[in-house]
Amino acid sequence: MVKKEEENMAIIVEGRGMALVILLLSYILFYVFMYLGRKGREIPVRTLPPMAAIPEGIGRAAEMGRPVMFTPGIAGDLNDPTQGPQVLAAISILGYIARECAKTGVKLDVFMPIPTALPLTEETLRTAYMAEGKPEEFSPDMIHFIAGQSPYLTAVLGYFQRERPATNFLIGGFYYESVVMGEGGNTIGAFQIGGTANTHQMPFLVATCDYVLLAEELYAAGASISKDPDILGCLRGEDVMKLILIALMIIGFLLGFARSPALINVLRW
Amino acid sequence: MSEEELTFWEKLARIDRRVFYWILFIGLMIPFIRPIMFPISISPSTRDLYEGIKEMVEPGDVVVMNIAFGVSAWPECMPAFVSCAKLFIREGAKIIIWGSYYDVDLTYEELLRRAKEDFAKLKYGEDYVYLGYYPNMEASVAQLGSSIRSIFSTDKYGTPLDELPMMKNVDKATDIKLVVSGDTGDCCDYYIRQWRIPYGVPVAEIGIAMLGSSYMPFYKSGVLFGMSVGVRGGAELEKLIGEPGEATIRMGAINISHILVIIAVVLANIGYFASRGKRR
Amino acid sequence: MAEVLRREVVYLITAIITILMFIEFFFIGTWNVAEELRTWATIIANISIALGAVRLLSEHAKNIQRRRAGVWPFSIWLWIIFLVTLLSGLAGYVIKQDAMTNPLYNWLFTWPYTSLGQTLYAITGFYIFSAAYRAFRARNIDAALLLIAGCFVILTNAPIGGVIWSGIPVIGRWFLDYGQVPGMRCFLIVAAFGMLAYGFRALLGRERGFYGEVAGE
Repeated sequence: MVKKEEENMAIIVEGRGMALVILLLSYILFYVFMYLGRKGREIPVRTLPPMAAIPEGIGRAAEMGRPVMFTPGIAGDLNDPTQGPQVLAAISILGYIARECAKTGVKLDVFMPIPTALPLTEETLRTAYMAEGKPEEFSPDMIHFIAGQSPYLTAVLGYFQRERPATNFLIGGFYYESVVMGEGGNTIGAFQIGGTANTHQMPFLVATCDYVLLAEELYAAGASISKDPDILGCLRGEDVMKLILIALMIIGFLLGFARSPALINVLRW
Repeated sequence: MSEEELTFWEKLARIDRRVFYWILFIGLMIPFIRPIMFPISISPSTRDLYEGIKEMVEPGDVVVMNIAFGVSAWPECMPAFVSCAKLFIREGAKIIIWGSYYDVDLTYEELLRRAKEDFAKLKYGEDYVYLGYYPNMEASVAQLGSSIRSIFSTDKYGTPLDELPMMKNVDKATDIKLVVSGDTGDCCDYYIRQWRIPYGVPVAEIGIAMLGSSYMPFYKSGVLFGMSVGVRGGAELEKLIGEPGEATIRMGAINISHILVIIAVVLANIGYFASRGKRR
Repeated sequence: MAEVLRREVVYLITAIITILMFIEFFFIGTWNVAEELRTWATIIANISIALGAVRLLSEHAKNIQRRRAGVWPFSIWLWIIFLVTLLSGLAGYVIKQDAMTNPLYNWLFTWPYTSLGQTLYAITGFYIFSAAYRAFRARNIDAALLLIAGCFVILTNAPIGGVIWSGIPVIGRWFLDYGQVPGMRCFLIVAAFGMLAYGFRALLGRERGFYGEVAGE
């Protein structure tokens, strides 16, 4: 509850003290491990099967002579705190996909229904094709902008039937389009890699895709490709924070038996 | 293996999806021609939503009904949303309606149409107001908590908020008794983060069935005081307020479709196991 | 140089706004700046809707001008529908302060728009049906358990489940309350940490995807 009474001389809003501590602790851990990673300390990270499968999917498209389709879903704008980071993480993966497509000469079609993400998508694709020394193969026409969920969905389903892409990447913030596109892709026999942090759409992607990046994996996907010390450092920081939370849960569980509200009071500080 | 070479069991495991689509299509029409009614039990989350409103809302309290679903989700969200509006009216609450979905005007009009008799008892501006659409999702929800007037200086029809009697002393989240958010997405998250946690305003969710699992942890931990999930939630609320309606009729279609899914899954597994045994 | 400067400016704006929001959220005081910024954000979002419309129309005008194969007739259609909707809505607003009072505007939304939207959403049911048929197979113990739990939950949601056997809703609700809630909590927590780390990197200017650079380089 917000309490702004001056007389209690508190400077932190009641009930948010522990959130601040956890936030600061997370940031300190992220920073320390990022620093150590930059200094050359090795931070092992398991390979994410969906990321490892990206070249396989693009190779399949090259063999079949069909295009590859990428879409980040239409769950939210870039300024949406829940969906925005997912879209940004997806665009970051798109850069890798675009490089692989440029290497193998596979046609890439991007369905981008989020207007604010359009310039970033264009820039990412342009940079990827330039990085592979094929700037002439990039064209803004690769990006199909369709506003509105229903028109976007219809356009993608129509594209599936007309172009029959060999591989579909459904990575980003999705709403109900995940199951329709996933199943639509299945009907044309496409190899599919999905990814989302939206809990309500995970089951659909799991049911319809060959590989799926779930929750945090979406944000960590970049690390498994690039071994970027910043991302790896953050991953290690996240793991330490998770251990701390697990410890708190166990303590809370034990204190619960003793009917002690001590931990609850601390967390509510 | 060509289609002719497939055994019966293998065919059972590979039935063309279009066959199912036709069966589902025909099956779903049956309850609309001849309603199939079974008793509906009330789930704890819907009961808490109903009882929460009844316990918390006193006559004259101001509540917010947030529309974060589009016309496509009317069949799932609208029955529960209408039932909630009726309940608020019965409890004597004053209702602010606004929304973050761009076709919010249509949903508002539909709400008035479906609860016509109830809204007819009220006076616009004194008992309910419609403020319209706000963009920018969470940032706007946060700002609405700080100052409604900084987002909406007038209502949808251009009347300054200060000229609307029920809005005279209402500008912040703390002036609001509770929020009910109708969602197809994450809008309820914003009210949890920006209204429930900072200001302690009770929040309830009316969501499409897909959101049931996502919001269940918030309901179970008491962050949401109640939750209505999909058409089923709507039917339960209709039963609780004693006005069976659209959602109650739709439960027939839910029965048929769910039974068909179970049959399809059973067939797929029989075919899968039988053909796997044969291969061995 | 300009590119570097542009990027640095973005880093700086991101950092300043984030810090202001943090301070407002955690510390007592009247932080009018943060509130003011949120109002700006809403105003900018409103303006961006108009900008988006202008950009959309200009893109489709280009399609028509270049006679882009397979697209330009649809671009003409978009222009027609856009203008009809905009003008009819404006007419309603000018006359009675409410776009919906114009019968043409009302008709466009009430009939074509609503019906198309609901139809598209309804096909989800068909796709879920075929996805369940294809994916719900007891290939191993895990999948078998998921299948059994899924069947109970499906029958719990349908009133007929309780009619078939009164234990079905009890078991189904148990799976919902004690099976899926911990799983969802786990996903929520790890996704939140992922987002926190992503935001932190963006704040420091070290999330290259955030600024349009390519991962994997």
